[in-house]
Amino acid sequence: MLALARTFALHGVEAREVRVEVDVRAGIPSFTVVGLPDAAVRESRERVRAAISNSGFEFPMRRVTVSLAPADLPKAGPGYDLAIAGGVLAASGQLPDELLAGLALAGELALDGTVRPIHGALAMAERARRSAIGRVAVPAANAPEAALVNLSEANGSGPAAGVVVLGLRALAELGAIAAGGGPAPESAPALPPADAVPAGLPDLEDLRGQPFLRWALEVAAAGGHSLLMLGPPGAGKSMAGLRLQSLLPALEANEAIEAMRIAGVYGRASAQASRARPFRAPHHTISAAGLVGGGSPPRAGEVTLAHRGVLFLDELGEFSRDALEALRQPLEDGRVRISRARGSVDLPCRFMLVAAANPCPCGRGAGEGDCECSPAAVRRYRSRLSGALADRVDLSVGVEQPAADALAGPPGESSAAVRQRVVQARRRQASRLGRGRCNGELGTAELRRTVSLEPGARSALVAGHARLGLSARGHDRVLRVARTVADLDGSESVSAEHVARALALRRREQR
Amino acid sequence: MTAGPSWALAREDAAYPAGLHDLDDAPPALFGAGSPNAVAGLEPSACVTIVGARRATPYGRGVAEELARDLAAAGLVVVSGMAYGIDSAAHRGAIAANGTTVAVLAGGPDVAYPPSARRLHREILSSGGAAVAEVEPGTTPVRWGFPARNRLMAALAAVTVVVEAAERSGTRHTADAAERLHRTVAVVPGPVTSPLSAGPNALLFDGAAPVRDAQDVLDLTLGVGVVSVRSLGPALEPDLAAALAALADGAATCDAVTARLGAAADRVAVALARLELLGYARADGAGRYARTGLRAPGEG
Repeated sequence: MLALARTFALHGVEAREVRVEVDVRAGIPSFTVVGLPDAAVRESRERVRAAISNSGFEFPMRRVTVSLAPADLPKAGPGYDLAIAGGVLAASGQLPDELLAGLALAGELALDGTVRPIHGALAMAERARRSAIGRVAVPAANAPEAALVNLSEANGSGPAAGVVVLGLRALAELGAIAAGGGPAPESAPALPPADAVPAGLPDLEDLRGQPFLRWALEVAAAGGHSLLMLGPPGAGKSMAGLRLQSLLPALEANEAIEAMRIAGVYGRASAQASRARPFRAPHHTISAAGLVGGGSPPRAGEVTLAHRGVLFLDELGEFSRDALEALRQPLEDGRVRISRARGSVDLPCRFMLVAAANPCPCGRGAGEGDCECSPAAVRRYRSRLSGALADRVDLSVGVEQPAADALAGPPGESSAAVRQRVVQARRRQASRLGRGRCNGELGTAELRRTVSLEPGARSALVAGHARLGLSARGHDRVLRVARTVADLDGSESVSAEHVARALALRRREQR
Repeated sequence: MTAGPSWALAREDAAYPAGLHDLDDAPPALFGAGSPNAVAGLEPSACVTIVGARRATPYGRGVAEELARDLAAAGLVVVSGMAYGIDSAAHRGAIAANGTTVAVLAGGPDVAYPPSARRLHREILSSGGAAVAEVEPGTTPVRWGFPARNRLMAALAAVTVVVEAAERSGTRHTADAAERLHRTVAVVPGPVTSPLSAGPNALLFDGAAPVRDAQDVLDLTLGVGVVSVRSLGPALEPDLAAALAALADGAATCDAVTARLGAAADRVAVALARLELLGYARADGAGRYARTGLRAPGEG
């Protein structure tokens, strides 16, 4: 007897539909899985056999063949257990065939029949909606994540009807579902309000006595500009970088869902629905593949996990040259394409780069009296800082240890207050550029089109060319930042004052 | 662009730089790349040699660049050795002023050394300057070529300006060579606490002439009052003047100036950016601002 169950395979940060065909017929008892299963899928046989027997069902003592289609798509991981078990039960007549029509299954089985959590539940639920599959059964632990699929509809981004999400605790509950009972459909968790500062983030008020640095963080957050902080160890660069997240505006609902889908695919979904922007701070020993993605099957890297959020590279000068060079395309395009013999995946990675670095390898400041670095070492170090990333870094700020009395002084302005100005500025940008967009992503042509300069501002830029040796790219960077400074100021046109502020924040060529 | 054809001047040529004749061991031939006019018939009083430490401080590099710029603008040929730090800053300053600069190399004139100076080498040649050496084109520099090269730099110009140097260094060697040739050695004083000031300050103690700006060098080279380059910048608004005064103690980040003035950070940032645009201040890669030599009206 033949049965068909449906489940999903993860590909990049999306899910693809996989059909599980189960054939049970007379013959010597056996259990075979075909269709490019990896080791974990092949071992599924043992888990499924035990889980079925331990859930009050009977494993058929006949010849069982399971085919995972499409057969050329590699299948990895234990998430196919539930669908295979469902198919075996239907094919052996222990569950009605109709149950599996319009129900997709995904979950790992424990030997006692418990359903264990999987990765990518939201991606699967989204695929189910696009494929017009009415119900999905996922592990109970993943049900809130999967139920977010219905939230995106509330925001009008999907045409199809909702997906009923059923959270399973045990395999036996499939029988209850067939009988019309079983777990209640999971309802979509509510997103927190957009104007609340996400709880639990380090607050900017801890940063004392560094007004210029604080201001640079505000501008970076307001325009989505990438930021480089240079200064000796202990000056507060890392501290500042970690606090940027609390200044950023909340994610739009659809962006939040995208971020949670990506996090879920890599097993990082949080228990609650969140609008907080992702913040990733990989260690400097990370490989190029770890940073931008790679491997086979292709896995997303830190840049994708930081999509719509912040990628913080502390000790930028210590990252390998390969890793930094690999950042070039993602920064430029907002996407990474990982090509493999078995096809390629496109991964989104629109992130804000924040980096901190010492001015020289010893950290004491090249050319200062107590620096011990040779000129050649300083040069190598600086070329690493400026190489691939220089063109994409809009802001740079020199950081020094604050004076002792500032450290002992009152706390600085809180994140909530700064964030309010940031949100206002982003709102102006959104009305000019479109929903969810910011000045940091403007290319040259769009920049010219959308930035209106007052006459004084134009002459300030010309003076910048003449006196400061501003390059064409440098000019664009200053213009982008000036636009953001004007947005923070609530001004529709860019004045000479705004340009001067942007010049103070500009990235300086090192030599 | 390539280095172009190389050329040579024999000791007997009329165009052989006059200063080199003062050497007991003047090279029989001077090989060059770039524009021969940069060195042809060069009189010591028409050029100035600026040398200093490779591992220079931002202060030293800034001063060297500015000196070179002003001296080149006043018409002097700026001679240096194309090393990291002070030497490179001097060449760059001269190029920035559309002046002529000559790099004296330890290897062949067409061989950029250090290799990372390739771009500077190209810029020197394409800006109407020259690279010269006493070894043939294509020769890679050897260790003992550097002291020999130093004596050429000392001989070419009437005045050798030492910007920053450790107590024992190649720069000291150049200064000693200049003294043996009875050339004027001038030094830019530095803080007594910095090891890179040890060289210049020791020379100063031994009687070298102190240099505050390009005018002092011109006075030494051409005689007092012959040419004047001392200039005043535009008048400053009060907040700009205050920010400039806050830089009096040396380089400072925007945060440090803000703390010193007690004003809003963005106001101070604007003031510093304006000072930079007006030429009163300059910032290094790490965002530390320092004063340039430009004086404001009403300042001392």
